[in-house]
Amino acid sequence: MFLIALNRTLLFALQSFWRNIWLSLATVFVVFLAFVSVNFLLAVNYVSDSAINLVKERIDVSVYLKPEVRESKIAEIKTRLESMPQVREVVYRSAQENLDSFKQKHEGDANIQETLKELDSNPMGGTLVIRAKTLTEYPEILKALDDPTYSDLIEEKNFDDNRLVIDRINAIADNIKKVVLAVSLIFIIIAVLIVFNTVRIAIFTHQNEIAIMKLVGAGNWFIRSPFILESILCGVFGCFAAFVFLYPLLSLIQPYISDFFNGADFNIVGYFTDNFLVIFGIELVAIIIINIISSSIAIGKYLNV
Amino acid sequence: MIHLDNVSKKFQEGADALKEVSINIEPGEFVSIVGQSGSGKTTVVRLLISEIRPDVGKIVIGGWDITDIKKHHVPLLRRQIGVVFQDFKLLPKKTVFENVAFALQVSGATRGRIESVVPQVLNIVDLSNKSNRYPQELSGGERQRVAIARSLIHRPKVLLADEPTGNLDALNTKDIIDLLLKINEFGTTVVMVTHNKEIVNSLKRRVITLEDGRVTQDHKVGKYII
Ligand SMILES: Nc1ncnc2c1ncn2[C@@H]1O[C@H](COP(=O)(O)OP(=O)(O)OP(=O)(O)O)[C@@H](O)[C@H]1O
Ligand SMILES: [Mg+2]
Repeated sequence: MFLIALNRTLLFALQSFWRNIWLSLATVFVVFLAFVSVNFLLAVNYVSDSAINLVKERIDVSVYLKPEVRESKIAEIKTRLESMPQVREVVYRSAQENLDSFKQKHEGDANIQETLKELDSNPMGGTLVIRAKTLTEYPEILKALDDPTYSDLIEEKNFDDNRLVIDRINAIADNIKKVVLAVSLIFIIIAVLIVFNTVRIAIFTHQNEIAIMKLVGAGNWFIRSPFILESILCGVFGCFAAFVFLYPLLSLIQPYISDFFNGADFNIVGYFTDNFLVIFGIELVAIIIINIISSSIAIGKYLNV
Repeated sequence: MIHLDNVSKKFQEGADALKEVSINIEPGEFVSIVGQSGSGKTTVVRLLISEIRPDVGKIVIGGWDITDIKKHHVPLLRRQIGVVFQDFKLLPKKTVFENVAFALQVSGATRGRIESVVPQVLNIVDLSNKSNRYPQELSGGERQRVAIARSLIHRPKVLLADEPTGNLDALNTKDIIDLLLKINEFGTTVVMVTHNKEIVNSLKRRVITLEDGRVTQDHKVGKYII
């Protein structure tokens, strides 16, 4: 009995979808646009988060030690720093390494090479590169380094504060997100309205059937449900179409984005694939709920049962 | 079978469509309701299928007080009352068979039941041989017979016919009246609203006359008097 009713409801819904096929397709298209937009928002979100993480990775404090500090003392400082709760890692570059890389960097500069030759000892000290566990912990680390036990040994500190870069990424991403969010909202509102209108038109097109259904004693839910189902179908088709459209598009864009971030391996397609069930599931459920509400209002208003 | 007890109905912004109407119809009766245009005949039919509710009074059908019937019970009421109208109300894109089957489909009948019951009622209205035709391929009388077949699909105890012959010529009219009489003989209570004087007079059945929303005549073997 239930299956028979479901079967016939589905049949009526499909018939109705078909009878106003252009209107139905327009509805599906708007739902499609809404989802393309929403998913684009997710993609922007993912890319900006990844970019920011990338930059965060590069933030550190470089501590240039005085040349006279001995290796054993440096090892001791390194261990002490490593034991601080805020510190994630400390990397040590020896005085020789620093000198070598400096020489390499200024290979073409005869002046510098000359000066270096004249010196009989290495003018550079070792370097400790400190990374904090989180961005907010750098101030504490810097403060600890100001302590005389350390500061007397330190030639110079260099806090490579990339927070400006992060802020800029955030600002750009926020702007894009705002625009896309607004566009998404507009599409969603249009989708709700057009679903409402589609159901309204479907009710008008089926006036005869509805009148006859009522006359011959069709249950109220039996009359209503095809219209609700039709709206659900529009939503589901649109949602599917958006994913079918987005996958190839994202694969196409992917290399350009990677390039833009110097080959960092953002995988947008992978992001959607990994979270497919969550993203797709939530979007599907959301559009179904939205369309049920929208069509129910249309039914309440125009279908007098 | 049908009891209207002191029923009044007023539409918004209008005079009373029905005023203190009391009608008692016994099971198995064949009753004609006559009256001038606007006298309230269709209003009676609409009240009986609970398309509208009375303002005052009480309506009982087959022992069921439908005066304040719940919305979700209305479909059950409609399955116990067959209705036909002047304009047939058939679906043009469905065949005769499908039009009749439609009434069963929408009430959740199984395919098996549809296949067995539809031919039976088509047989009653003598349209078995035209079950694959579309309404526009039928005469007016045949169309009305399809509508009657559909109204019989749930084996109703009451058949309401609102000017069933209003769109038909004399020959087709006689066919339909004969069919209604046949259905009445099977035991179904028939209430027919009509303008057709000759028919009413030749029937020699009960006639209720409405005038301006009131019952003015009610005779066991009535005549068309207006
Ligand atoms: N929905 C409505 N809204 C307002 N007034 C209505 C409505 N339906 C009917 N009426 C009025 O109620 C009165 C009775 O109408 P009804 O349809 O019952 O007449 P009738 O006897 O069936 O007429 P006819 O022979 O022309 O079909 C009329 O005055 C009509 O104008
Ligand atoms: Mg009328």
